[in-house]
Parts: sequence; structure tokens; C-alpha cells
Amino acid sequence: MGHDHHHHHHPHPHPHEIDADLPPALDTSVPDSELSPSDVSRRGFLRGAGLLGAGAAAGMTGVFSVPDVAHAQGPAVQAGKLQWLAGDHHIHTQYSSDAMYRVVDQARHARAYGLDWMVITDHGSATHAKIGVDKVRPDILAARDDLRELLIFQGLEWNIPAAEHGTVFVHPGKNELAVLKEFENAYDGAVTNTTDPGAANEALAVAGIKWLGEAVRRRRIDGALFLANHPARRGVDSPHEIRAWRDADPQVAVGMEGAPGHQAAGIPKPLGPGGGRGAYDNSPSAASFPGYPLESYRTWGGFDWMTSTVGGLWDSLLAEGKPWWISANSDSHTVWLESAVRGPGDFATDGRYGDPVHGTSLNTGASDFWPGYYSRTHVGATTATYRAVMDAIRDGRVWVDHGGLIKSLDVRAREAGNKGRNSDTPLGGVLTVRRGTAVEVTIEIDLADQPNWAQFVPALARVDVIAGAVTGPVSDPDAFTTPRTRVVKSFEVSAHTGRVSFTHNFGRVDEPFYLRVRGTDGNRGQAGLMGAAVDPFGPAMDLSGDADPWQDLWFYANPIWVLPTT
Amino acid sequence: MTVLGISRGHATPAAAEHWVYDLVSPAGRGGVVACTHLVRAPHPHVAVSIEGLAGAPAEAGDPALAEAAELAAAAHTARTGGRAVLYPGVELLVGTLTVADLLAASAIERVTVIGGPPAAPDSPVRTRDFVRPQWMDGRLTLVTTPVAGGGIAPFEVPNPTPCCADHA
Repeated sequence: MGHDHHHHHHPHPHPHEIDADLPPALDTSVPDSELSPSDVSRRGFLRGAGLLGAGAAAGMTGVFSVPDVAHAQGPAVQAGKLQWLAGDHHIHTQYSSDAMYRVVDQARHARAYGLDWMVITDHGSATHAKIGVDKVRPDILAARDDLRELLIFQGLEWNIPAAEHGTVFVHPGKNELAVLKEFENAYDGAVTNTTDPGAANEALAVAGIKWLGEAVRRRRIDGALFLANHPARRGVDSPHEIRAWRDADPQVAVGMEGAPGHQAAGIPKPLGPGGGRGAYDNSPSAASFPGYPLESYRTWGGFDWMTSTVGGLWDSLLAEGKPWWISANSDSHTVWLESAVRGPGDFATDGRYGDPVHGTSLNTGASDFWPGYYSRTHVGATTATYRAVMDAIRDGRVWVDHGGLIKSLDVRAREAGNKGRNSDTPLGGVLTVRRGTAVEVTIEIDLADQPNWAQFVPALARVDVIAGAVTGPVSDPDAFTTPRTRVVKSFEVSAHTGRVSFTHNFGRVDEPFYLRVRGTDGNRGQAGLMGAAVDPFGPAMDLSGDADPWQDLWFYANPIWVLPTT
Repeated sequence: MTVLGISRGHATPAAAEHWVYDLVSPAGRGGVVACTHLVRAPHPHVAVSIEGLAGAPAEAGDPALAEAAELAAAAHTARTGGRAVLYPGVELLVGTLTVADLLAASAIERVTVIGGPPAAPDSPVRTRDFVRPQWMDGRLTLVTTPVAGGGIAPFEVPNPTPCCADHA
């Protein structure tokens, strides 16, 4: 199905383009009254699960609306024709009150360390909204000119009303700056004094996401994305807020950091900051969601608890059928063991610090790495363009790694034994098969063959396949666990060079499910927080002041859904 | 023993804790257990509960937050919630001492570990001079994690990373 679809850009799917050979239950142009009873029941379930264009039926759009299912399998995103572009959507400059580098400093390092795209995300603030957002603009334009092979987005680290921070960025264009500025002035929590918890502030966050979506629909900008940053750090992103953001506009609110930046923060003293990896060292506050356990305030194998817990918050969203993707970024403010120091100047007056100047010692207290040095977000783009990077992120063709653990990852789902690669479904996609069809996932990995930026060649020890039933919407929007997700298969990796390939056959499938993949260097681990039956060898909690990030490397891939139809 | 609930709408546990230290003079701390509580209504803030105070407190709570104060007192009374900032023996919990010594020296009844194996009686506890146990399941419990250099330390660190370091 859908192979002859033209690529069409979000968020303007055209339901009339649905192929005639679409299964009736999926084809929203077929009214319920014309379906067989079993198809009616099936459609009801799929719609309830968010897997059928709930959106399309209601005249709205959704990633799972039928045209997008086709899109995920169309020629424009044939798994074999993607180029995987590494990037980082969370980077600060001298226009952030707690940072120091020039735009070009970050961009040159990003490029040198292998990134293809990056987002400048200075903190939203009254000063930034008044001065910095304008002043950073020429610096970004100049860096784009200097580094033609690097895509440099202008973005914002949004103080989400009532919650944590998030990356917001837009497609370059004539209204790029105007839209970012209007957004910051109207919806940034620090600018509007709305960071405290509460229903009114939560509503402002939702309104902000909808505003961005409206700016795209009105063609002021060609795309806008929002991802929640360091979501579990202080316990203030409640599950119902995350769901509300996503539901506000699934074309804009697409995910969260699976791993926070600040990955050097746990390097032991005296050569490192000696804190919590990811700068995760908080305890619950009055603003925190009361249901989160203490475990959520620490990183696990460098990753945020929402992502690292098999059967946890991320999985609870995926099990609902909600697309929600993860990323991994540097959050670079000040770089560990770097010698430059913040330049002179008054931030409040100038909206920036002066250019950094040479210092005479090494900053052992800094907790960050340069963009690309340690954390990477790989997106499967059809071309090396701003639009294709945004499309890939929106569609979930994304995997992330730490420390260059692997060189490349290619995960595809298909009917078992069907090697006709045109039917392969890549990360973020939906494989539709007739009920009772056997389904398999193949995982092809090019092992690291070059040293990483700590000058050693990482060794992949194990790859885990995680799968969970799609059970539909939750009755409690604050749910952060799901009972039917677990590690279904682990592959030990014995090879040290070249390409390794693994296949897991799910057998004949009768109900919707999703699968995702992660891998590790095998250095640290423990039974998962939901028990050894769910995750026998999950990541271990990072120890305060004793977390060398290079000795605990993981990669995570975003999910693929499998959708049996009658 | 009666548990008194007071809420003055403190924004953070640290602010509430300072207020408790001012309210209960060092001479009057014998046998006192004072806790901070995270309360959601009518707005998120920190309330206080005090058990064993001699006489009436010198300062009253905010009448508008009476319900929050009652919640704090009830959780403390039931030993289901509350983070203890004053409790018998707290002044002795400095430097590094074993789990057994910590339990013997203070009102803490149990030590649990997140992210590592259960603590042994001779496990060293690096207190960082900041030990804030909580009422959990009827017992005053210190939640710890393994730390650099071996041993365990309280889960709650005295100086957590602020939301944005150097926020302007």
C-alpha cells in the first residue's frame, strides 16, 4: 500500500490521497456504516488507540492519520535511502545568562565533532526577549555562511509555563525571527511570570504549542518543533502535562530529551564537578508532581528516568499509540576542562556577555561537552536540508547515542521473510500487515571503527529489543507506567569490527504493538525498576560524583509500530 | 504526642527549614520532631509539622493555609509523610559514621538504598552534615544512594544544582 504516494509535507496531509487498496478499517473515507461489523470494531479500537486518524476523522491532523501511515512507507522515506544526520537541539551561547560561548564557537566545534545540524537554544528571559533574540540573529546568519555544511537552526530554550524547559525551533525563513520573538514574549514562563505550577499556567503552555502550529498552518513559517528538555530533572513535568503538550499539536510537540546534557557533571572531583550526571541531583519540591518516585530525580546510564525505565513513562505514551520521540543533546553552556572564561560586559544591559577570553586554568567544575563530542541525535533525513531534518524529527526517524557507541544503526520492521526492501518500515514508522502475518525486525549496526572523542573505540556488548502492546488511551492522564512492555530479546555482541545484524521474529501478530531497540557497552547495569521480568539488565543509577560518562555508554532508538488489520 | 501543623506558605523546603530553626530554639529541641511537607493546595508550597514542642509556638500559621497545616500534621501523626529537619540525634549526624551508629545515635529507624544493594550495619554513611530522613510506612527512614569513594550518602544533597545556574 501507499508506495506510489508523493511525499507531502506536514501538517497538510490530504485524506483524498488515500490509496484505494487501503484496508477498509483504516480508510477513513469509508464510513462506519459501510464496514463489516468486525471492521467497525477494529476501527473503533484503532481510533481509540490513536492509531487511526482520530485526527483525520475529526478534520484535524495527526501523525497517525492514514495519509501519514502511507507517508511512513512511501518512496520518499524508503528506509534504504535515508541519510542519517547527527545533530543536537540544545545548545547555549553568550546570549544565555548562564553560558558564555559565541554562536560560531559552538557551531565550529559541532561541525568538527561531526554534527550535521544544531539548534541554538538560549534561555527565554525578559532580557533575551528584549535584546538577545534580535542580537543573536546576525551571529547565526554569519555562522550559516561560515559553515555551509552545517544546518544551524535558531531556536529558544522555552521556559514552559508551569513546567521545565523545552527546545522550540522553527524552519529558517523570512518570519523566523518574528515568530520566535512573538512566541517568547507571549508564552515564555520567565517572560510572563508563569513558571509556577497550576492549571492556568499549564493552559498557557498548551496555548503556546497551538500558537506555533497555527503559525505553520498560516504559512508564516514552514515548520515548528517543540521537545521537552531534561524532563525528569526536578519532577515538574507531570505526566498529564506531557500528554497535554503532545495532544495540543502532535505536529509541533513531538518529544523529549531521552538523555539530558551536562553529561560531564558526574565526573569525580578533583578533575570533574563531582555532581550528579546530567546535573540530576535534585529532590522533590512543592512544584514537583507528587507521584514521581525518588528514582526519577537521577539519571540511569546517563538517560532520563522517563526514557530509561522499561515500562515507564515513555512506554506508557507509546502504549497509548501516541508518537513521542526521544533525543540526546549536549545542553552545552560551559565545557569541562575548557580554558576560556566568560567575557566582560553586563548581561542585563547588553543581552549578552562579551566574547569569551583566554583563561589561565582549566574549568574542572564545568559539566558540559561540546556539541557532538559525547551526545548525538541521529535523524533519518531524505535530504540534507532544514526541512528534511525537521520532517525526520517529526516522524520519529531518530536514534541517539553516547560516546560514539556505534557508527550506524538501521532498524526495520517488515513481514517476516519479505526482503523486498520497499516494504521495510523505518524508525518512527507504522508497519501495517494483515492480522496473523508474521512480523520481524532487523537491526543492522556498523560497529564503531574509529576512536570516539575520548580516543578509544567503544565496544558494543548487547542489544535489547523492547516491545509493548498498544492498549489505547489511559483513563488516568497522570499514568507513568504500562504493564505490557518488556525486553523481549537480547543479543550479545561478540564481534568487534564490521557490521553486525540481528533479526527478531515476533511470530504471527494479532494486536497492535510497538517495538524499540537499545544497546549498551555492558559496563554497568541492574534489573530494571519494573523488575527483572520486565528488564533483566537495565541501566544502573548514576552515582553522584562517581559517574565517568565514557564508561557507561548506551544507544536508544525510537519505536516502530506494527498495526495488524483485517 | 500531639503534632502541630503550621503553614506559612514557604516556597521551598529550605525556607521552611530556616523558619523552623528560628522557631524552635536550640534549648527547646529535646525530643522535638519537626518536618517539612510538600503541599499542593491551595497552591504548591511547604508546610511544617512539629511534635513535642514545649508550649505554644511563638508564631502562628497563615489562617488561609489551615487545611495544608492539617494535612501536614495528619501525615506526621500517621508516620506516612514528612521530611524531618529536627529530630533526636540530628546534631550527632556529622562526618562519616556507620549505619549502625547512625541508627543508635538518632531517631532514624531505617536506612534504605536507591541504586545499590541494601546497606549493611557497618556500611559507612557520608552524611555531608545534612541528614533529612522521612516518615515512610510508619518509620523514620533515611533514603540513601551509593557515592563516590564507597559507602552511601543521603539521597538529598545539601546544595542541588539550581534550575539555571547563574540565572539573571
